[in-house]
Amino acid sequence: MQKISILIPIYNVEQYLRECLDSVVNQKLKEIEIICINDGSTDSSLDIIKEYAERDSRIVVITGPNGGYGKAMNKGLDAATSEYIGIVEPDDYVSDNMFPDLYDIAKKNDLDLVKADFYKFKTNNGTKEKTVMPLDKTGTHYNVVFDPSHTPEAVYFTLNTWTGIYKRDFIEKYHIRHNETPGASFQDNGFFFQTFIYGQRAMIVDTPYYLKRIDNPNSSVYNRDKVYTMSIEMDWVMDILKRDPEIWERFKYMYWWRKFQNYMFRYNVLDKSFKQEFMNRFCMEFKWAKLRGELDFNVFEPSQRATLEEMITLADKYYFRHNLSVSWKIKKLIPKTIKDFLKKLLWGKEYGNKKS
Amino acid sequence: METKNHEISVIIPVYNSEKYLRQCLDSIVNQTFKDLEIICVNDGSTDSSLQILQEYASKDDRFVVINQENGGAGKARNTGLQSATGKYLSFLDSDDFFEPTMLQKAHEKIEKDNSDFVVYNSDQYVTEKNDYVSAVCGIRPTAIPPYMPFSYRRLTENIFKAFVGWAWDKLYRKSFVDEHKLYFQEQRTSNDMLFVFSALIVAKRISVIYEVLAHQRRDAEGSLSKTREKSWFCFYDALIALKDRIEKEGLYWELEKDFINYALHFTMWNYETLAEPTKSKLKEKLRTEWFDNLGITGKPEDYFYNSFEYHEYLDIVK
Repeated sequence: MQKISILIPIYNVEQYLRECLDSVVNQKLKEIEIICINDGSTDSSLDIIKEYAERDSRIVVITGPNGGYGKAMNKGLDAATSEYIGIVEPDDYVSDNMFPDLYDIAKKNDLDLVKADFYKFKTNNGTKEKTVMPLDKTGTHYNVVFDPSHTPEAVYFTLNTWTGIYKRDFIEKYHIRHNETPGASFQDNGFFFQTFIYGQRAMIVDTPYYLKRIDNPNSSVYNRDKVYTMSIEMDWVMDILKRDPEIWERFKYMYWWRKFQNYMFRYNVLDKSFKQEFMNRFCMEFKWAKLRGELDFNVFEPSQRATLEEMITLADKYYFRHNLSVSWKIKKLIPKTIKDFLKKLLWGKEYGNKKS
Repeated sequence: METKNHEISVIIPVYNSEKYLRQCLDSIVNQTFKDLEIICVNDGSTDSSLQILQEYASKDDRFVVINQENGGAGKARNTGLQSATGKYLSFLDSDDFFEPTMLQKAHEKIEKDNSDFVVYNSDQYVTEKNDYVSAVCGIRPTAIPPYMPFSYRRLTENIFKAFVGWAWDKLYRKSFVDEHKLYFQEQRTSNDMLFVFSALIVAKRISVIYEVLAHQRRDAEGSLSKTREKSWFCFYDALIALKDRIEKEGLYWELEKDFINYALHFTMWNYETLAEPTKSKLKEKLRTEWFDNLGITGKPEDYFYNSFEYHEYLDIVK
């Protein structure tokens, strides 16, 4: 048995694929299996994979018609045979000590999962601008073994699936898989949540190994079919959490926290023609989460708390108030410093009380 | 006998509805969707309803007429359900009538979304005025997600108030009804609520059509709801049966709040629309037993989505 199966789901990435494959093939840990899942690429991606596979017998090629990110990843998980599983996206790459280092840490501490900080990078005139991205912005959870299944605050960690490795026995014990929705539809959310609600021995490390490409900023969403892909993924996550009342009880506040972040992120990239309907739904969902006792305002930052309170109070009038009403537009002209002062005056005390 | 199964089984319990039956049956015969099996269960009518059914059956071989002794609409629907062979089920009432495209549109939607059931809108028809009440009912739009299909967890409303607890504005997949052993309660009134809400909580895929496709007759003579004095306890039996079903599905931990809120809502509606002396009898039952059994007793005011209903409850128990 190899030490790590590295899964690479591939769809039309000929431009970046060689840099990715080189970084994986040249890992200092040699006992690895590299599973390339071609998800019906229409460019030369498959040829590139085959070329690499001819030279390196550790590469396994799986190919099929386009079935979306989740299905491709699940095929990879089904095919994996190693002790641990890693994920590299084909437009990113990794440093050559990522998998040996993570493997050592995982073995030494008998971990279900270990995750590391990462870089995001842009290419500007041929030079790479890298920025370190910490998983834990508070910096307080690094380099110690913890039990994510009883640490709901770990949902605050930056959400990704590809900066870590996962013990395959653990993945199989809980049959952790991706949602098989079409295309790329945020299927990493479901995988992330499952690893955190079921994992019992985990560690995050503050060494960045993984290089995440952000050359293609999130482009606007103009296609109606894509407007609610995030909602559908988070619905799937809720259905998983609710399989077990205890898990739901433990994670419900952080579920809604994560959903708020995801929905804001989504809302901001939507074409204007979809925003009102999306925001109405957003408000209604949170209004009912509160009525059902699933919201805890204390897990949100104060500024988000204020937004959320207003969204819940106004519900389907929130969008109108903020985008269409004249009085709101006038309010927008008030300088931010004065607004902040007024907010403090009005809300500051109340939030102070709530925190204690 | 035909060997090929029809696509939709339409099930209609018929009890002394000679006055409106032809309008109902015509609107079914004239559906643009033709691949039907029309199962009419004559529930021991004492008027000419059976003759009318036989007349339609002699002209249209899609009709199946079943006779049974009077046992109520719930039992009649179960009888129809047992003999249904269609892929989909439509439960209609003999004093209502329907848009000619109702089944076509519902069928198209349930197939497209691969849904367990599909819900459409309806309005009410007042016979005396020969006119429709403008209010559309059936689907509460603010409760429904903007994407389909969905399960009850996606509803932004008390889940038991997103749709109405009657069966005739919905088209059901028969394999879904069979798999979950859904059935109608065999009681005089409130006999479809258990079926409709059990389906709601077990369905993984629900779709809606925001279009008025059915017309419910209001104030019809002999309409059961007008004579609820005889069956004043049926709503309670329906609520208890629903509670049992929620518990059996292992969902009570999640749905308790919605159920209790709905139980209070439905109880108050029944209470307000009941005449004396039965009303006082019901009040006594509620105070001494039923509010306890429904889980309403002892819940704090902020447990209730509608504080007006909570205060109505306080008025009864004080």
